[in-house]
Amino acid sequence: MIRGLLILSILLVTGLAKIPVEAAISAEHRREHFRAVEFGLGLREQVGQLGFIAALSGFRALVADFVFIQAHVAWERTEWGRVLLLFRQVTTLQPRAILFWDMAAWHMAWNASVAAMNDPAQPRLALRLRAQREYFDLGRDFLERGIRNNPEKPQLYEALGRLYRDKYHDHAHAAEYFEQAAALPDAPSYDRRFAAYELSYCAGREQEAYERLHRLYQSGERERLPTLLKRLKFLEEQLHVPLAERIPDQLPADTPKR
Amino acid sequence: MSELPHTAFSLRRVGALTSNTLRELTRLRVFYVLLLFALLLIGSSFFLARMTFQQEFQVLKDISLGAINILTSVLAIVATARLLPQEIEDRTIYTILAKPVHRGEYMLGKLAGVLLLLAITTLLMSALFLAVLYVREHTVLAETARQMRAAPPDHLEEALRNVRASAFNLNLLPGIAIIFLKAALLAALTLFVSTFATSNIFAVVVMVFVYFIGHLEGTAREYWQQEHGTGWIASTFLGLVALLFPDLQLFNLVDDVVAGTPILPALFAKTAALGGFYVTLYFLLAWAVFYRREL
Amino acid sequence: MTDAITVTSVSKSFPIPFQRRPMVAVRDVSFRVEAGQVYGLLGPNGSGKSTTLKMILGLVRPTRGTTEIFGRDSEFVASRTSVGFLPESPYFPKYLTGEEMLRFYGKVCGLGGSELRTRIDTLLELVRLTNARTRRLGGYSKGMLQRIGLAQALINDPKVVILDEPTAGVDPAGSREIRDLILDLKARGMTVLLSSHLLEQVQEVCDRVGILAQGELVREGPLRELIAIENRTQLVLENASVELIGEIETRALAAGAQVVEKRNSETTLEKLFLEATQSATRR
Repeated sequence: MIRGLLILSILLVTGLAKIPVEAAISAEHRREHFRAVEFGLGLREQVGQLGFIAALSGFRALVADFVFIQAHVAWERTEWGRVLLLFRQVTTLQPRAILFWDMAAWHMAWNASVAAMNDPAQPRLALRLRAQREYFDLGRDFLERGIRNNPEKPQLYEALGRLYRDKYHDHAHAAEYFEQAAALPDAPSYDRRFAAYELSYCAGREQEAYERLHRLYQSGERERLPTLLKRLKFLEEQLHVPLAERIPDQLPADTPKR
Repeated sequence: MSELPHTAFSLRRVGALTSNTLRELTRLRVFYVLLLFALLLIGSSFFLARMTFQQEFQVLKDISLGAINILTSVLAIVATARLLPQEIEDRTIYTILAKPVHRGEYMLGKLAGVLLLLAITTLLMSALFLAVLYVREHTVLAETARQMRAAPPDHLEEALRNVRASAFNLNLLPGIAIIFLKAALLAALTLFVSTFATSNIFAVVVMVFVYFIGHLEGTAREYWQQEHGTGWIASTFLGLVALLFPDLQLFNLVDDVVAGTPILPALFAKTAALGGFYVTLYFLLAWAVFYRREL
Repeated sequence: MTDAITVTSVSKSFPIPFQRRPMVAVRDVSFRVEAGQVYGLLGPNGSGKSTTLKMILGLVRPTRGTTEIFGRDSEFVASRTSVGFLPESPYFPKYLTGEEMLRFYGKVCGLGGSELRTRIDTLLELVRLTNARTRRLGGYSKGMLQRIGLAQALINDPKVVILDEPTAGVDPAGSREIRDLILDLKARGMTVLLSSHLLEQVQEVCDRVGILAQGELVREGPLRELIAIENRTQLVLENASVELIGEIETRALAAGAQVVEKRNSETTLEKLFLEATQSATRR
């Protein structure tokens, strides 16, 4: 009995000592974006009691995968509302997985939006257009939240750039996001090129775009891809660049055939 | 033969107890969990065939690491819980403790045996998982290279880089090390519980509760520290949970590692130190109880 | 003579949950086992024999009193350097061979290398299990298990060996082998403390006995003294004629003695059993 109390008090005293340590490591986890998950009532309602307990017991990633698979099935059945709901759960459970944000945005902006535009049940074009726009916005929202959770990864900036380029046709924003992606250490080399392409479509920013494309052109043979040459030539025309400064026309023999 | 000189601690004695414990545990066919793990890997790969490679790798890694996590935890609890009650029931504990063996040495031997078992199972499961991942990665790399023959070189390069990045990454290893550490913590705690538990089942049930509460400890601690103006009963309860239970959530780094978050060496070191602290604490407590226990 | 084991007024009570009164298992027991003696602790089941042995081995702590082995208090691990123990029906791991099991116990005692190897050989020889050394314990008979258990108790070459019900559940032949082993150990100068509820067996091997009943030592002393009936003498004759017996009876009566009992000598059931089974196996 006395022994039991003694052991209990040892546990309590070491408990007092360990609490600040655990709190510090926990804070570090937050800083490093581990466990950036709020286990609130909302999540419990979403994933159900069992899933919530599982998620709490160290199987968060597994629960996320399970919900993701459900979302995949919902997509195959084109149940768009369900896809949205499930992807919200997936990204809440696993906010550090780029893949889930990317997939969520893609389903909204590319798949659901097209389905909404071609909805046979909705005869009014204005309403279909509005629905389509709403899906674009949902996709954008996923990507923006994904970027907030993963500011150091280029993939989601790229995805947002593509969304602005292909869906909103907003080249200025697209250029901005490609540029942000390109600035990150892990970014692929084409991000810089994409940013410059997008800029070349922005009225009033031709000079800036021209300078960037020209710098890329100068940096070597690797960058001299057909689209870059085409955009550069277009800008040379636009900006009335003196003939001497223009890049040479590619000879048909030099042009890679693709 | 003259009377043997008696030392307070002998590595040979502990070593004998450790290898005997390991041998006893392997006799229990605990390695069937490896078979289970292999079946899970094979089963999931059928299912994953319908996904893109990023999805496939993500889910494969989550499932494998989740399985390693749960299997080592369950093994730690179930294997440790039976050690003492079984030896008492078989009366072999009397033959051992009637020899010039300190009870601390006996406990250390038992714990070391379980930890060795956990290390071996973790290593084998990880090896199996990494082998599957390696094979799949190379298949996907070859496929990607074939499909993208016509693409610009930096696109192909980027695509291949993407495949590599989404398959194996070096951060998985510290993540797995921390899974092992969590299992070691659970084993030491189970050993402690089993020194006063009346039966094997009782120890397992207690540990299942500890497992869940341990994952909620972080939340309880934060509420307790924030002084939410909850009543004193609730506050005392939260305080007790925060003080008495380890924060098991801190040992779940692997979910985020799969998602691509690197584990900083400093964070890894701190987590490892915390795990080591708990293993030591629970071992010492187990010893303290067992030291006076009547057999 | 030095005392191998000293038990000085020990009591042991176990608390019973939710009851004020604890269960008293052993009540103020004292006895001494001299070096080289075979001491039998007798008593019905639940009389406190095992608890007393466990106290001597430091497995259970006495509530009051002390126990010592060669002058060392059982509370200290060092007291166990000179003692070996065979508990009642232990369940050794079935997957080990006899040799492996002895090697494990040897290592637990800090032995190793060639010293341990020779020790194992000697012990297997002693308990006559050399032929079964590479067989798994799962295939051992109850008697063999007790013998290997005895070898285990002797692995660190102790001066005292404590045996708790060494023949429980063993058939008569096996039982006899164990008895012979105990006598063998005694001949080698070893001290033996054993507990049993089989009186006949104790009678055959023990120099001194103590009888426990409900935790109390009710009788204690040298076996011969305890069972001798001082004013009676037994006379066993062979080939005596009826006349001779009549004459002896008459003389005895004339001298004022009484003939209390007169009957033909019997063999014991055990001897009969052993003779019958041995001749059957010889055939």
